Amino acid sequence: MSRRADPVARRGALARRAVERGARTEFLAFRMAEEIYAVPISYVKEILKLPPLTEVPRAPADVMGVISVRGRIVTVRDLRKRLRLAESPSTRRSRILLAELPAEQGGSGERVGLFVDEVLHVYRLAEEEVESAANVLGSELAEYVAGIGRQQGEMIILIDLRPILGSASGKGAALPPALAAAKGAD
Amino acid sequence: MIDQRDEFISEAQEIIEGLSRDLLALDAALKRAGGGHPDTDPDVVNDAFRAVHTLKGLSSLFGVARMSTLSHHLEDLLDDLRLGRSEITAKVLDVLFRAVDVYNLLLVALRAGEPEPQREVDALLAALGAATSSAGGAAASPLGDYDLDPGLLGVLTEYEEHRLRTNLQQGVGLFRIRARFELATIDTGLDDLKARAKPHGEIITYLPSGEGGDADAIELDVLLASRQTTDVLRSVLSGPGLSIDAVSRRGAHPQLSEPPPTVLGEPARLTTPPSAPEEPMRAIPARARDAREAGDPVGGGAAPGRDEDAVALEGPSGLTIRGVAQTVRVDIRKLDHLMNIVAELAIVRSALGRITDRVRGLPELRDLGMELHRLHRSLDRHLGDMQGGILEVRMVPLGQVFDKLARVVRQISREHDKDINLVITGAETEVDKLIVEELSDPLMHMIRNAIDHGIEPLDARRQRGKPDTGTIALNAYQKGNHVVIEVQDDGAGIDEERVLATAQRRGLVTPEESRNLLPREILGFIFLPGFSTKDGASELSGRGVGMDVVKTNIGRLGGVVDVQSELGIGTKMTVTLPITLAIISALVVVVGGRRYALPLASVLEALMFDPFAVRTIEGREVTSLRGQTLALCRLEALFGLARPEGTSPPARQFVVVIGVGSQRLGCVVDSLIGQQDIVIKALGKSLQGVRGFTGATELGDQNVGLVIDAPAIVEEMLVPSEAGRLVGQRRLGAAGGEAS
Repeated sequence: MSRRADPVARRGALARRAVERGARTEFLAFRMAEEIYAVPISYVKEILKLPPLTEVPRAPADVMGVISVRGRIVTVRDLRKRLRLAESPSTRRSRILLAELPAEQGGSGERVGLFVDEVLHVYRLAEEEVESAANVLGSELAEYVAGIGRQQGEMIILIDLRPILGSASGKGAALPPALAAAKGAD
Repeated sequence: MIDQRDEFISEAQEIIEGLSRDLLALDAALKRAGGGHPDTDPDVVNDAFRAVHTLKGLSSLFGVARMSTLSHHLEDLLDDLRLGRSEITAKVLDVLFRAVDVYNLLLVALRAGEPEPQREVDALLAALGAATSSAGGAAASPLGDYDLDPGLLGVLTEYEEHRLRTNLQQGVGLFRIRARFELATIDTGLDDLKARAKPHGEIITYLPSGEGGDADAIELDVLLASRQTTDVLRSVLSGPGLSIDAVSRRGAHPQLSEPPPTVLGEPARLTTPPSAPEEPMRAIPARARDAREAGDPVGGGAAPGRDEDAVALEGPSGLTIRGVAQTVRVDIRKLDHLMNIVAELAIVRSALGRITDRVRGLPELRDLGMELHRLHRSLDRHLGDMQGGILEVRMVPLGQVFDKLARVVRQISREHDKDINLVITGAETEVDKLIVEELSDPLMHMIRNAIDHGIEPLDARRQRGKPDTGTIALNAYQKGNHVVIEVQDDGAGIDEERVLATAQRRGLVTPEESRNLLPREILGFIFLPGFSTKDGASELSGRGVGMDVVKTNIGRLGGVVDVQSELGIGTKMTVTLPITLAIISALVVVVGGRRYALPLASVLEALMFDPFAVRTIEGREVTSLRGQTLALCRLEALFGLARPEGTSPPARQFVVVIGVGSQRLGCVVDSLIGQQDIVIKALGKSLQGVRGFTGATELGDQNVGLVIDAPAIVEEMLVPSEAGRLVGQRRLGAAGGEAS
């Protein structure tokens, strides 16, 4: 896990300082449109540069297409569609996060590609640095937001992957401690 | 830990399947015998006993308490059966068949991590108790009449003695074969002898003769029960150091003493070298009995109990050592992985081919080029062999699923009190393992329908002059790259009029439209979702219950279901499936600037598209092909593809004619790229609802092409008339609020 995260983590001085402060949850931050989002890094298996995408006719709107990752066909989804963000064409910095939510955490077990505009760095957030999302956002998007992380004056929107990668019965599944506290309602 | 559990489940599953096969064989023997004495193969009863015994050991080792308890009781029953202490009857078999079902329930629960189904197990245990308590004793047999060495009789196990008595009761002759075996080769020598003797009789036991042995060899007395004459046996069993004599009857009647139990271990140790595979076989019953007498705690909690069962486990696993050496159980994902590697190698191969061609084009490297070319050809050939080899490994006989179906037939026919004869042909036909797994549910559904609603009750059959016993035929055969499975019954058939009436009532078709429907189109209604709701089911005597599910499941495997029926005569369902899902030949085409693969199995021909020959009938585009009307499908429009900017469809397009069953459809495409062997990869779960594609494949240089699901496209465009789309629209309308 940390092997892949390292090159990214090294960039963030924040992250290194956080290490000394004990048990925290690691989040991989990325940019979509103009906002900073993050998902628990333990769900991110790999970060890919954009390979050729094959569109799938008649697929749900947030499916960008399929790619081949070492012989496996992976569906790439566009989080921007789900989060109703502005879509700009892909750039040199665009990446695909290969993410997978294990079944015991309410996931479907399928490895899915998530398109992001740019990968930033790794944050290590303690529980008290995560704020419940319900207070901040309208109910429409709350489904996708697990909480708001605040560190060194930066605000990071923590995405709940369960509605995106989950099987329908994702309710009540285990979240990392930081997120569980933030979602509260579960 | 999870892996171990999976391993346990898959091993247990295999054993249970074997058990089920044994029971079916016993059932068949029982039926053959009518009311008389069934001539059951003792090996089969033994097999069943060992299966349950192994399950007991395994399940208690893995702490599956209920399975262990159940096995423990079943073992008692089977032990009684194989020792002739009780009779094999239909009632006993009922209980045993139920046990197979309960075992499966247990495994399902275990896999899902749910609690073990206690109610079913308890009910079965009660039934088992009833079955075992009614055990009768075996009749005394004239053992003493034979000129047998009392020493030999004294060391027979209970089972051997039972077999000896049974054979003598049936008037089978007894022979003593004295054979000399080299110690080094005794295993193979003995096996060879057994194999040669098996067609002619049954080997009761073998013991060292106590004579003629030396440091390198041992002489055995083999007791053979056979209906052959001494001369025949001498001719088929002849060999160096081998003599055969008939054991004669004699007048005297010395009382046969019960075999002293303590003798058992000793001669067994003498008889066979420690590595001989027969040793555990002889020893199991004894150990099993010992374990039972010792109270064998099957709760699975206490450590001593586990130890004991671990010992018991050794026996059967020792037994299967030879089997294990010849067959390997492999996770199918590992084969998929190998297949992926082969696919990548194929890409390397093409790259190598291009380089080879370039080198050959250089005059100064001509020799090198030739050599490269040869190597490339050889690589090509071996890669092909490898691909074929891996595919072959994935193939399993359909018999696996047919066995399960035979059990279902037996169960349902007994439930409905209908006498049904299941005739299976082609059980050896092989298909991809994944297909076999997915097939059992749909086939079971079809069979259930055939029994429930196809085969008439007895009086109706008599009225129609049909034989009392209904027949369901399950036929499988290979047809080119496809496997065809037919489920045929000689029952009531499907009433088209009533199907049509129901379809009209449900608004699937208007009376005007119905006039033009062909019989097969009418029967096609039973496959429509929503056609068979509850009241529809009773009106049509249930035909079509869940047939839409059957169709969907078969369709997911790239197959099609067809139904033919004649009122009063019977119904035939035909399932046509590709042999393998793993690799297929495909035609790569371009539509709207994107590449798609069309499985060649569905492609009939490709021709130039003539836009001027297109006519429109009822809003559908058709053209004519050799005097026949061919419906057209503009794939570009169907897929809603937006052309890359600044491009327009080429002036010359093509029509690829695809055929599914007897239906044909012309797909309009931009161009044909060519034929290619492709490995179909599944699309992720999140794309499962998308119609029209069976998967995706790599087309080289990281590009992925979607594989078109020809049956789905044909169905979407054609079957059955407008009904499918009407249903879809109505559903949408209903979901949107008021239906129009």
